[in-house]
Amino acid sequence: MTHETQLKLQAWLDGELPASDAREVLRLVERDPDAAALARELKLTRQWLAAGETLRPVPESREFYWAQIARYLPPRESATLAVRLIAFDWRRWLAWLAPAAAALILLGVWLLPRLAPPQSAAARAPEIETPGEELGTFTFRSDTEQMTVVWVNAR
Amino acid sequence: MPAADRPSKPMSHASEYSDASDESLVRQAQQGDTQAFEELVFRHRDKVYSRAFSMMRNETEALELSQEAWIKAWQRLEQFQGESSFATWITRIVINICLDAMRRNKRLHAESIEQLAEESGGVERLLPPTQVDMLAGLERAELRARIEAGLAQLSHAHRTVLILHEFEGLEYKECAKRMGCSIGTIMSRLFYARRRLAALLADLKETRKP
Repeated sequence: MTHETQLKLQAWLDGELPASDAREVLRLVERDPDAAALARELKLTRQWLAAGETLRPVPESREFYWAQIARYLPPRESATLAVRLIAFDWRRWLAWLAPAAAALILLGVWLLPRLAPPQSAAARAPEIETPGEELGTFTFRSDTEQMTVVWVNAR
Repeated sequence: MPAADRPSKPMSHASEYSDASDESLVRQAQQGDTQAFEELVFRHRDKVYSRAFSMMRNETEALELSQEAWIKAWQRLEQFQGESSFATWITRIVINICLDAMRRNKRLHAESIEQLAEESGGVERLLPPTQVDMLAGLERAELRARIEAGLAQLSHAHRTVLILHEFEGLEYKECAKRMGCSIGTIMSRLFYARRRLAALLADLKETRKP
């Protein structure tokens, strides 16, 4: 018996052989004792395995086994939110946000010196000055004392 | 209305969880009730762990992969619509996780010698088939223990194909899809695994004779 025939015989037992091939295999099993013996053995293995697998108890207590699972369970709402966040296309928004942010920074750099209030002359020059020759006036500003003194001297 | 969409009354007492059906526990868990999910874990943990152990043959791996299966089940719980039983659903999840782990560790490929044996039907092909049911008359527990001992001696690839086909009842096509190989390979592996198992169990019977 060829290996191909053996596989056909197995497929027949597993109910996976087309009807036309099944008739051929059935005839083979009826007339060939080797084929009949093989069919019996394959049936036996199926019967044994039908008993199922041995049920093995988890080698940990219920609490310990559950605790190891529970620490990785996200809250149901968070899980839904996480799915929504994944679905949200950040790249699409970043394509707009990056140039917009750059433009805002440039605008800020250009506007900042123009919007700043001009510094007072007194603050800039806390020195003695003479506003006019004919008035004979002296102005003195002290930043430390926060005081401005104007001395008028008639000539 | 699908089972998952039906609103369910929140449970407040521990006895309500233990008395509840799997379906109502699933509905509760779908609404975020972790206590309901814990009850499901408690009910089915041995089956899930057993399946992981059957496939991996390693206690530590079986524990980790079974826990991974529960975490994945929680994440995908909204997809469970009750087409199959919860036990079937969670078992399929753990099988897929084990298959992924075996794929990562390249355990799903038969060893070169085994591969040659598979293609030709193996040495077992030439042996006369077993005609006596050496496990006849055994108690179910003893029968399972013998089968377990036989399965333990098969390679990952051959054991997995038996588990998928015989325990899970999957067709050749579905086994091939899950194991990532052709239907022809599944047929060869199944044949080799069955004949090898029969030979191993016959040996086991001989060695245990008084």
